[in-house]
Amino acid sequence: MDNVLEVKGLSRSFPGFQLKDISFTLPKGYIMGLIGPNGSGKTTTIKLILNMLKRDGGEVKILGLDNIAEEKAAKAELAVVFDSNYFCEAWTAAQTEAAVSGFYENWDTNRFHQLLERFRIDPAKKVKDLSRGMQMKLMLACAFSYGAKLLILDEPTSGLDPVSRDELLTILSGYIEDGEHSVLFSTHITGDLERAADYITYINRGSLFFTGGKDEFVDSFRIVKGGPEDLTEEIKARLIGLRTHPTGFEALVRTEDLERMRRTGGKAAENRSVRGNRDSETVRFPAYTGALGKSSPVDSWTVEPATIDEIVVFTSKTPDDNGE
Amino acid sequence: MNETLKAARLDFALLRPYWKTLCFIILMPVIYTGVARSLSAGISFEMCMLGITASYTFAISEKNGMERLYGALPVARRHLVFGKYLLICATGLLALGISLVTHTAVLKALGETVHAWEIAVSAVLGFFVYTFYVVFQLPGYYKFGAVGGKMFQFIPVTGYLLTLILLPRVDPNSPVLTAVLGRPGALAGAVLLCCAAAYGISIVVSVRIVKNKEV
Amino acid sequence: MKLIISNVSGVPIYEQIKQQVKSAILSGELQEDEPLPSLRTLARDLKISVLTVTRAYTELEQEGFVRNIQGRGCFVMGRGSELIREQLICKAEAGLTEAVRAARMAELSAQELHRLLDILWEENENG
Repeated sequence: MDNVLEVKGLSRSFPGFQLKDISFTLPKGYIMGLIGPNGSGKTTTIKLILNMLKRDGGEVKILGLDNIAEEKAAKAELAVVFDSNYFCEAWTAAQTEAAVSGFYENWDTNRFHQLLERFRIDPAKKVKDLSRGMQMKLMLACAFSYGAKLLILDEPTSGLDPVSRDELLTILSGYIEDGEHSVLFSTHITGDLERAADYITYINRGSLFFTGGKDEFVDSFRIVKGGPEDLTEEIKARLIGLRTHPTGFEALVRTEDLERMRRTGGKAAENRSVRGNRDSETVRFPAYTGALGKSSPVDSWTVEPATIDEIVVFTSKTPDDNGE
Repeated sequence: MNETLKAARLDFALLRPYWKTLCFIILMPVIYTGVARSLSAGISFEMCMLGITASYTFAISEKNGMERLYGALPVARRHLVFGKYLLICATGLLALGISLVTHTAVLKALGETVHAWEIAVSAVLGFFVYTFYVVFQLPGYYKFGAVGGKMFQFIPVTGYLLTLILLPRVDPNSPVLTAVLGRPGALAGAVLLCCAAAYGISIVVSVRIVKNKEV
Repeated sequence: MKLIISNVSGVPIYEQIKQQVKSAILSGELQEDEPLPSLRTLARDLKISVLTVTRAYTELEQEGFVRNIQGRGCFVMGRGSELIREQLICKAEAGLTEAVRAARMAELSAQELHRLLDILWEENENG
C-alpha cells in the first residue's frame, strides 16, 4: 500500500517541552486523526512536517519525497488548513486565487470557482467579512483547486459551530472517496473523529501514546464504573485515570487487563456455543458464576465502550489530579 | 527569476488594498517641493517617506498570520526574500520616476527653472536615500518583525542628519571635493554601485535570517 | 437495503453493519449475487471510517456471507452456502437453548416442549 505520509523518529526540544521520537504512517486514501490534549505537541508535529520548525532528529516523507531535501515538490502535493484564516483579510475571495494560484502548476480555476459556489462564498466578498466557517471553506477551496493529495488540517474546527463542523466532515468524506486523497486531521475536539477517522495517532506530552487503527484504539479500552469497596491495590494499578467519589469510582482500563481481572476473580464469563466460537466480538454476556468459584468484583462493575474523548481525558490525568 | 516574480506578485497583492495610502505618500511631498523650491529637497523627502513604508508588507502579513501560508506554499524562502526586495526596489523606482515628473512640473508651474543636471542629481540622490533607508530596515523586520524592526529606521535617519550637520563644515575648495565634483558621471556611477552593493549585502543578510527563522 | 447505525447502542459500528447485513441475507432481503454498497460510498454516506466498513465486509467474507471480487465489490453468497447454513443452525440452537431454559423455569416437561415445537413448526409453515 502506498503511504502518503511517513514520519519516523521525529524529535525536537524546546526549553520546557520535548517532542520525542514520533513515528507514524498514513496510507493513501484514509483519514488520520492526530489527537492529544492542548500543548501535547500536535501543532509542533505538523510544523515539523511542513518544515516550519527545524527538527532535531527523524525523517519525514510526503508521497515518498523528503520534506526538507525536496521541500518544494512535497509542498506542491499537499495543502494545509489552520485554525484561523491565513490570507490577507483585505483580499476578496477571488483575489486569494490570484495570490496563490501562480505557485501551483495544475491550478484549476474552474474548479476553484465551482467550489466557491458550492460553499456559497461570494467571490467579491472580503475575507475579513466572511464567517469563520466560510474562511475555513475558502482555505479548503484553494486546497482542492490544485489536486493536493494530502490535506493537513490543524485544529480546523475550533471556533466553528456544530453545523460547520459537520459540513467539514462531509467535505472530507467526499475528498477521500476516490481512494487517492488522504487527510491528517489534528484536533482536540475528538468527537469529530469518532466516526470518520480511519487511523489515530495519539500524542501525549510530547510522546507517542498510540498509532494505529481507530477501531483498534477504541476497542482496546473500556470505561469501568463500580463501587469504591472493589478497589484493591492490585486493581488500582491497572486502572487509568481513576476518579473516585463516595458513591463509586470510574476509570479507564485496557480491555486485556479487564479480561485478566475477570479471570483472577473466579470463573470468567465465556462465550458459549456448542458449535464453537466463530464470533470475533468481545464478551457482552452478563456475569456467570460457576458452581465452584466466587465471582470477581469486576462482574459487578458497569463496563462500557470508551469514546476517543474519554480515552484522551483519562489517559491525560496525572496522579495528583484527583488526590489519588 | 520566475519564482522571484511570483513572490513579488504575492507581496504586491498584500499592498494592493492599501494603494490609496501609497498614492498619497507618493504625491503629497510635491507640496514640500513647492514650499522649499528645491527639487532635490522634495525628492529626497519623498523617498524617505516611501522608505518608511517598507514595513507595510511585514505588518500586514503578521496581522493575518500569513507566515503559515508561506510555510505551506511550494516556494523556497529565499525566493520570497528576493521577491520582496524586487518589489521594494521597483516601487522605489516607480515613485522616483513619477515624482521627478510631477515635482518638476510643479516647480516650473511656480516659475522656477529646473536644469537637467538638477533632475539627474535629484534622481541619484533620491535613489541613494531610498536604498539606504530600505537596506537597513528589511533585515531588521525579517529578524524582529514589523514592530521590533522599527529601530533600524533610525540608522539612515542618523546618517542623514549627520550629513546635514557635517556638510556645511566641508571646505568647498578642498582638492578632493573639487576632483569628485568635477566628474559627476563617475560620482553618479560610484553612488549607484554603492547602492547595488548595499542591496546585495542586505539580501544576503535577510536570506540568512529567514533560513534560520522558525515560525 | 437499509443500514442504520446507532451511535449510542454501545455496539461497535462494524458489528452493527455485520449484523444488519447478515439479517438481510438470512431473511432473504438481500438475494444471492446482489452487490453490497461500494466500500467508500457507504463510508461517505454514513460518515464513518472506511476501515470500519472494510472490517465489516472482510469479516462477512470470512464468515461466508459475501465474497469480495477484486475491483468489482462484495457480492452476497447464496443461502445454500455451507457457512451460512451453519450460522442459521447456530441461531436455531441459541433459540432452543433459550426455550429450554424458560421451559425448565416454567416446569414444563420435555414432552410438552416437543408438542409446542411441533405446533410452532406448523404455524411457521403456513405463516
